[in-house]
Amino acid sequence: MTVLSNKRLNSISDLDDMRKELLSLRSPSAKSVHVCTGPGCAAKGSPKLYELFCEAAQQADADVEIIPKAVGCHGLCEYGPIVLIQPGDIFYQRVEEPDVAEIFRETVVGGRLVERLLYENPVTGQKAETVDKIPFYKVQKRIALAYNGLVDPTKITDYIALGGYSALAKVLSSMTDEDVISEVETAGLRGRGGGGFPTARKWRSCKEAEGSPRYVICNGDEGDPGAFMDRAIMEGNPHSVIEGMLIGAYAIGSSDGYIYVRNEYPLSVERLKLAIEQAKELGLLGENILGSSFSFDIRINRGAGAFVCGESTALMASLQGRTGEPRAKYIHTVESGLWEKPTNLNNVETWANVPAIINGGGKSFASIGTEKSKGTKVFSLVGKVVNSGLVEVPMGMTLRQIIDEVGGGIRDGKRFKAVQTGGPSGGCIPEEHLDARVDFDELTKLGSMMGSGGMIVMDEDTCMVNVAKYFTNFLQKESCGKCTPCREGLSQMLYILDRITDGEGQAGDLERLEELAELLEGTALCALGKTAANPTMSTIRYFRDEYEAHIKEKRCPAKECRGLFRYEIDSEACKACGICLKNCPVGAITGEKKVAHVIDQEKCTLCGICWEKCPFAAVLKV
Amino acid sequence: MLRICKVIQNMAQDNNILEQIVDRYDGEVGMLIPMMQDIQAEYGYLPLDQLHALAKRLELPLSRLYAVATFYSSFRLAPKGAHDVTLCVGTVCYLKGSGAISEAICREFRVEPGGTTPDRLFTFQAVNCVGACAVAPVMIVDGKYYGGVTTASALEVISGLAKDKAAVQKEGEI
Amino acid sequence: MYALRDLLGEMSLCRSAESIRKGKPVPTVTIDGCKVRVKKDATILDAAKKAGIWIPTLCYHPAVSSEASCRLCMVELDRGEWRQLVTACNYPVRRDIVVYVSSERAQQARRGVMELLLARAPESEELKALAERMGVKETRYPNVTESQRNCILCGLCVQVCEEIIGKAAIGFAGRGAERVVAAPFRQPSEDCIGCGACAAICPVGTIKVRFHKEEQEVEISPFKSRAKLLVCQECGALITSTLVNEQALTKANLNSEEFRARLRLCPKCRRLQTVAQLGAVTFRKK
Repeated sequence: MTVLSNKRLNSISDLDDMRKELLSLRSPSAKSVHVCTGPGCAAKGSPKLYELFCEAAQQADADVEIIPKAVGCHGLCEYGPIVLIQPGDIFYQRVEEPDVAEIFRETVVGGRLVERLLYENPVTGQKAETVDKIPFYKVQKRIALAYNGLVDPTKITDYIALGGYSALAKVLSSMTDEDVISEVETAGLRGRGGGGFPTARKWRSCKEAEGSPRYVICNGDEGDPGAFMDRAIMEGNPHSVIEGMLIGAYAIGSSDGYIYVRNEYPLSVERLKLAIEQAKELGLLGENILGSSFSFDIRINRGAGAFVCGESTALMASLQGRTGEPRAKYIHTVESGLWEKPTNLNNVETWANVPAIINGGGKSFASIGTEKSKGTKVFSLVGKVVNSGLVEVPMGMTLRQIIDEVGGGIRDGKRFKAVQTGGPSGGCIPEEHLDARVDFDELTKLGSMMGSGGMIVMDEDTCMVNVAKYFTNFLQKESCGKCTPCREGLSQMLYILDRITDGEGQAGDLERLEELAELLEGTALCALGKTAANPTMSTIRYFRDEYEAHIKEKRCPAKECRGLFRYEIDSEACKACGICLKNCPVGAITGEKKVAHVIDQEKCTLCGICWEKCPFAAVLKV
Repeated sequence: MLRICKVIQNMAQDNNILEQIVDRYDGEVGMLIPMMQDIQAEYGYLPLDQLHALAKRLELPLSRLYAVATFYSSFRLAPKGAHDVTLCVGTVCYLKGSGAISEAICREFRVEPGGTTPDRLFTFQAVNCVGACAVAPVMIVDGKYYGGVTTASALEVISGLAKDKAAVQKEGEI
Repeated sequence: MYALRDLLGEMSLCRSAESIRKGKPVPTVTIDGCKVRVKKDATILDAAKKAGIWIPTLCYHPAVSSEASCRLCMVELDRGEWRQLVTACNYPVRRDIVVYVSSERAQQARRGVMELLLARAPESEELKALAERMGVKETRYPNVTESQRNCILCGLCVQVCEEIIGKAAIGFAGRGAERVVAAPFRQPSEDCIGCGACAAICPVGTIKVRFHKEEQEVEISPFKSRAKLLVCQECGALITSTLVNEQALTKANLNSEEFRARLRLCPKCRRLQTVAQLGAVTFRKK
């Protein structure tokens, strides 16, 4: 049987044969060039690099096999575009178009390193030739992201060659539905979308619920700003999600699956669509999968621009052609969900972990992590860190380890101020708690939560009141508006925060915010509303003095809130170049050649353009 | 007479397009949102008469379609501009100044987020996180990503669009 | 912290799907110390009514399904180690539970919600009266959201039009603080039959039915939807919307010409006609 005809796989042995054949087609001396086309690198032009590598490979001599691949997110987005050369795990960073020819000639063909493109440790100055020598990657343990960077997500054969769909084969040939649920239970897998609900328990409840058909849903509505973990998985290895859903559907007794992808991720939709098509062609989706009696199909629905649709009942309403309004969960969705039928919804990353659990066993998965939080978690570590990007680490690592060891510390020599975790439902954690272990429960005790894994690092120049205002505004705009406390309560909170950042804070504002927070937590209809006050409450808890400076002194200590600080020109540093004068939109700057320029505070609109443009950093925030 | 014929021809075409879209999803009510997305992809926005026709075709009350069209941010009930300018105001970009950039764009070009400039040059969207946080602040113009933008550079890029339009118009004149 | 507590709540609910499914056929609700038995899947509000305990509601109405969107009917549910705030109007009773209506926390929650509503809709007399009854004399919050004529977005009008009348002439539009109840495209609705059920069910006096004598039309304000009124054949009085009659006839399946003829008269003229007809009939004495 030749694999190139892509004929349908009618049995598990067909799948094994295909895998063997794919592996045999690779010559041992072949080299591959993996160009990352994940969201971060793509924004820096990496697809063009891939094209150039393809051209070079075509024009090369026929004796050596060179395979360029466009792969998914590696994680170290800060240093993108990233190119990996195999064999050898050679890691090149910040690759630009003119570098392609050199890389091809020297490394791919010649086997030599291009020193200047290697990762250099900013502290020690040491160069790292291979991935494992880079501190960012050393501490990581990749399960959900295991295949990112190794497979071309548009080719199902890549995934199969590396063992993809073998977990499905194992399940179909030797496990009952209860066996599968047991294995996931042993693994201790908990939902990765933010709720942290025990996955096996959810599957079992859905399986035991009355009603048919049963639905299986993948929640790809990753709405937390600053989070792109699910995007990297959907775009970097969509098959891990499909395989996970297949296994879950088998355990639950479902043959209808949905993947709901937010509208702002068109590439994820494309990759998933292609992956589903290819899986269907091979008979890994559809009727009688791999010759068994199990049938399962997946449809993709796009969101239409509503953060609240990440909430499970709102998502299901959207799938029913309605507005995304959540409903009471006194009766759970596993009992009555989509079309009032038993429905099991899990997050992208949760599904992506399932094949690994089946392949490696639940015990092995449970050996990683902490007592109540097993396995690994993908975090999007962004903001003022040196190495921003995606990291996957065992649960239980401390914030400090993640930010310092993996993240490389704070950039530009600034001081750490806070790390915001868990998206808009989470809160800010200050320096004194950096040794907290990151898992489902620890951060919650500190007034935040792990959430879906967003970690936004903030430095001394960040105004925490402004952070609270930002998140409150976000939630107020995204609130569905159905229930009183969320709609009115968030509007009231925003009104107060606006006043405070405008310099019109009043005595009693903080108490008022605390009252509203308690009301929201107790009476809001869904999790969006119930956790909406977390950003505000956590910043008041740890940075009360900043709030008080805004309210009592009308001063913003971090110098972010417009009107609560001034711009002044440092006469010593000013070189009278005139750039600020030319660019000031209201003509508030006066000065001549060789005379230090001055800002007229009366005219100044605090737009900040002079501060941006000054080449000598002579404009100061005071 | 010719005009009436053209109108009838257009209506027939629209009918065809609508039928195709509905058939694509087997007329399932649950696929209402994908259907509306396809209509918007076809016309650039959701025309009133198309929504009427869709409501009739699916036997749904018009109030339901109106609720859906006004609930989700991506739906537009009015035609859009020649260009698409999207600015990310997600947390990271915001902390790096995209809030101020958004205000500057609104001020300079007299547009609100979600709206279109008076001269229909561009439609402006301020969205929450496009997943490219490593190069914040991010602006996307007609699909092209601009990382690390500042107020000044953002305004420059957009002004460039107007200049392109003027250049094209001028060429046309010759 | 919400996340942890609700997780515990969810876990205890999922403890055994079996027991949830079966439940108790006639569970007991201990509400503020008073024990009442209700049918399975009755709500806490049903239990409260049986026990004679008043819980304020706004978006609840027995004729339509409970969305529990106003959040006014909050009560505390005993969960052993902690208490969970739940809405009484839609919490289904499936086993024996203990509920606190008059606890400090429950009262504070309800009052807080009412204060937010008063801030939004300061001019509704009905709302103020309800607030008084709850012991809320005023609100400490300023008015920061705009309501059309004190609408509190309870959704009863939308629900009655869709679920009972079957027309769905009005619906929600927009999202969040911009959410409103409106006819599609803010134009007078083509589906409205002018029955005024929305006005009847509105708890805060936002929706009004207006009769326009000259045009012989009924208008539902503020939606601007209008319907033609039937005029009495005999005396010329304005009776009811023609569309309402059509709807009633279709729904009740009464299509005889005799019945239709009666509907063309106003109530007064109908009575006169009835008396006249009765006068032509002899009553048999027992």
